[in-house]
Amino acid sequence: MSAIDSLNAIREDALNELAKRSTLDELEQLRASLLGKSGSLTAILRTMGKMAPEERAAVGAEANRVKQALEAAIAERREVLKQAEMQARFDAERIDVTAPGTDKLPTGRIHPMTQTYREIRDALVGMGFQIYGGPEIELDDNNFTLLNLPKDHPARDMQDTFYINENVVLRTHTSPCEIRALKNIKPPFRLIMPGRVFRVDEVDASHSPVFMQIEGFIVDKGLTLGDLKGTLDTFIHAVFGEDVKTRLRPSYFPFTEPSAEMDMSCTICGGKGCRVCKGTGWIEILGCGVTNPHELENCGFDPKEWTALAFGIGVDRVASLKHAISDIRLEYENDARFLKQF
Amino acid sequence: MKLPLKWLKEYVDYNVTNDEFVEKLMWRGFEMGSVDPELPGVEGVVVGKVLEIEKHQNSDHLNITKTDIGTEVLTIVTGAQNVHAGDYVPVAVVGAKLNGVEMKPVNMRGVDSYGMLCSGEELGLTEADYPGSSVHGILILREPHPLGQPIAEAVGLNDVVFDIELTPNRPDCASVIGMCREAAAALGQTFKEPEIKAVAGEGNEADYASVTVENTELCPRYTARVVTDIKIEPSPAWMQKKLRAVGLRPINNIVDITNYVMVEYGHPMHAFDLACVKDGHIIVRNARENEIVTTLDDKERAVDPEMLLIADPEKGVGIAGVMGGLNSEITENTKAVLFEAAVFKASNIRRTARTLRHTTDAAARFIKGVEAVNAKLALDRAIELVEELGAGKVIGKTIDVCAADLNERVVDIDTAHVNKLLALDLTPAEMRDMLATIGISSVACEDRLTVTVPHFRTDIESGIEADWDIAEEIARIYGYYNIKPTLMVGDTFRGGLAPEFRFEDLVKDTMACQGAYEMYNYNFTGPKALADLGIKEGDTLNQAVRILNPFGEDQSLMRTTLYMGMLDSAARNLNRKTGQYRFFEVGNVHFDNNDTLPEEQKKLGVVFFGDNEDFFTLKGSLEQLFNACSITGVSYRVCERSYFQPGRAATLVAADGTELGEIGQLHPDCAKAWSIDSRVYMAELSMNRMLALSGGTKKFSPLPKYPVVARDLAVVVDERRENADLVGIILNAPVPAGVIIGDVTLFDTYAGTGIAPGKKSLAYTFTLRAEDHTLTEEEIRTAFDAVISALAENDAPIRA
Repeated sequence: MSAIDSLNAIREDALNELAKRSTLDELEQLRASLLGKSGSLTAILRTMGKMAPEERAAVGAEANRVKQALEAAIAERREVLKQAEMQARFDAERIDVTAPGTDKLPTGRIHPMTQTYREIRDALVGMGFQIYGGPEIELDDNNFTLLNLPKDHPARDMQDTFYINENVVLRTHTSPCEIRALKNIKPPFRLIMPGRVFRVDEVDASHSPVFMQIEGFIVDKGLTLGDLKGTLDTFIHAVFGEDVKTRLRPSYFPFTEPSAEMDMSCTICGGKGCRVCKGTGWIEILGCGVTNPHELENCGFDPKEWTALAFGIGVDRVASLKHAISDIRLEYENDARFLKQF
Repeated sequence: MKLPLKWLKEYVDYNVTNDEFVEKLMWRGFEMGSVDPELPGVEGVVVGKVLEIEKHQNSDHLNITKTDIGTEVLTIVTGAQNVHAGDYVPVAVVGAKLNGVEMKPVNMRGVDSYGMLCSGEELGLTEADYPGSSVHGILILREPHPLGQPIAEAVGLNDVVFDIELTPNRPDCASVIGMCREAAAALGQTFKEPEIKAVAGEGNEADYASVTVENTELCPRYTARVVTDIKIEPSPAWMQKKLRAVGLRPINNIVDITNYVMVEYGHPMHAFDLACVKDGHIIVRNARENEIVTTLDDKERAVDPEMLLIADPEKGVGIAGVMGGLNSEITENTKAVLFEAAVFKASNIRRTARTLRHTTDAAARFIKGVEAVNAKLALDRAIELVEELGAGKVIGKTIDVCAADLNERVVDIDTAHVNKLLALDLTPAEMRDMLATIGISSVACEDRLTVTVPHFRTDIESGIEADWDIAEEIARIYGYYNIKPTLMVGDTFRGGLAPEFRFEDLVKDTMACQGAYEMYNYNFTGPKALADLGIKEGDTLNQAVRILNPFGEDQSLMRTTLYMGMLDSAARNLNRKTGQYRFFEVGNVHFDNNDTLPEEQKKLGVVFFGDNEDFFTLKGSLEQLFNACSITGVSYRVCERSYFQPGRAATLVAADGTELGEIGQLHPDCAKAWSIDSRVYMAELSMNRMLALSGGTKKFSPLPKYPVVARDLAVVVDERRENADLVGIILNAPVPAGVIIGDVTLFDTYAGTGIAPGKKSLAYTFTLRAEDHTLTEEEIRTAFDAVISALAENDAPIRA
């Protein structure tokens, strides 16, 4: 058999054999038996030194072709086997992705009221508001008198008050922060003033003697009722989404004139009418108005030069509406089964 | 404020649906509380015709009827004896509700009854509502009605009553007249204001009565009129129906007139039996010391000298503005009456009502504010009604003791300013016409409006606020919905959070990352909770601010620590087995420091409990918190607190030596007080101190370039020896220059076999490295030896 024939025979055999090798190890053995140091092709190449030059050239050329063909075939086969092996591993390692997660680290919770407060705050901070504060126990003057609610004003009955003494109260709203701001900060300014407030309200599903308010207070020249409406619209949409509708309707607060309350379309029923909105499709969300001139005057500002706008939001109420919490008491019971829902 | 639709229609053309009316009022600032049926508590009762009636075989007193209600013929058993075939009767069918009770089919002695024939009483009807209502037995309708017709329609009580919520600035609308004036404007209609016909009395009133007002500050106006030849009888049906519709009980013609006028004109009135007023002389004066007045409700009330009385020369005959006296009550024998319509100072009546713990409809109105012109109108109206009802003979003229200024006030309005506030562009004439629709007359000139404030608008001020008051009226009439929302112009503002608020966010988020749930507890506490924490007199935590009017003793103090609220919530979670054992709260505590305002401190409270927690899990959480807040160098010093178990409590001391807070295990006695079986670990830290200590901008320090070597060792020390002590010794050991010791960590504590009694073994790991080169074996060995000798020199020999 000539060397060329041997080469062809090797190729034929090898290609036949190749298809039978089903693992990478077997494939490697085959490669070694052909192309390794003592491989059959290598053996033929070794005999080439003894050949005549013409024959050597022809055999050499053929040997190279065979070698390349075999190497290519082996590489191709290797790729196939690799993929098969990977596939086998994948099959073997298949998992049930619907099985529960494990090794969960315990995570805590931020109270829904704090979450709501932050949402409201962040929306207003984005509109150029800064945060300002005041104490929970306040002077009667700051809480009432300077806000245009002198002693014996009938509207004092609107807010039943916890007294510490004749001149000191648990603040009934965050509005006394307005007096502190007017006395300590140079306008113009836009402030939000969050905090706890207190009213003599027996605890029930919708009343709590302690609750959280955010006061908004803007002092500048030339502000209008339209500005108040625009500011509140923007903020409500930021917190509750673009789809809610709002309406500003007349109301009364001693601290503002004109006074208004803002309603938004009921988030529970979408405005069709349900138990939460008492069938009206609207929910009262905040009280607001143009600050009464007496308040500005009381703090040394000319109310014809400066205008102030104010609004007060009940955070508990917004949280209840946003999360459909039916009983406000849950917000102060701290039952973990409640807290972990948010 | 209850306003029956029928009454409204007397003064206003009502051309809308009730829903539209509700919405139109809302845009005027009047919220509708509810729209109620005139005949309340009756649902699903219809007219039926009794076709046949026969005796029940198993009963002496029951009858079985076949009653046609139009859609079907029902078998109904009744106990009444006044029903005959052919009668039209009220039928409460199955599913009907009477005062909330639903009708169900019942078996009455073997016969199924599908409904109930109703008496007038069961429907809440009186003789004045429908003749025959008070008959014992079933209400027999007086004429045929369509079968199945709702009974309210059949008896003519199918009106609605609006219950309107009023804001405190509009006491004038707590009257049919006032509310109708606003309602007419809201509906774009003209208000048909009734005119009161003056009644010229006979004779001279001075022959019967006189009035002396001793305190005109508390009683600026007192008007009164004498009526003699009184015939006490029930008031006419139309008056009774109206009173009932607004929730008042008809009594007799004289009392009903005073109540009717109160509802109509909003002014409380009173009628005295003139025979019981000595010399007919009414004296309005302050009560005397130890005086007692027996009021109409037959209660003896001790009055004090700050209270105003209506008296005669001998005795009190009424407490001004609150309630009349029993001694001058209108009875069926009353022959002469003195009608009173007066003005009493709101704050004084408020005090009186509060002090006596007694409030009446009249007192509530005086407290909200009444005015002097209306007092006379009310009295005139009452006298007109006396004539109309033929209730008696009106005598002479009105007695009018008046110190009040009855002149109309005129205010000057800057219309440009009003426009500016509302972002509108109305002319003074337009404003004038708008105001006229709500009964406010004014004269417009170039840029001003001269407004005559009507007597009933006490809320419109004369001073600086007038522009704002009128702006509010203009806005209401123009419609808030027509005001365009705008965005504020002017300087731009840099929004943001003050450091205090940003820090609070950081603390809360970090605590939540430690697996803790945020709590909100009430600020109230009480002496018992303080005692349960073992807090003694003289302790700072005992300097609690006291509330004058608390809900109860347990809520009479403002908390001085967050612990009690946290323990309440912890106990609740344990009892309810919620499976959560880590909580925190950020809140204020208050201390009475004898200053005008108490001292307020913001605190972080943390509570861990349950089998998986201990002192060190809580401490670990705090360490993580300090890490997040860039607070370094906090040390722990053993402390004693009444509420911490001795030996398991520490104060946290900041690097600058100030106290940051405390941590400890709840004392077993306190745990018992809160009925908690589990061990509880608590900490309380000052938010302000933490904020002050928290690092500002963080600075980058280069990453170590050369390898770090870790070494372990164990020492044997006295069992009370503190870890902090040994860490200090290791860190300060005299190692070769350039060698840095770090990350000293206690990883094991052991006592027992192999360790002498009274001793313990502590195992540490720590690292060694250099800034500028890889440590040589020699350096490592020398450094390690230095650590060992430093420990040995300090009574901490290496464990053999």
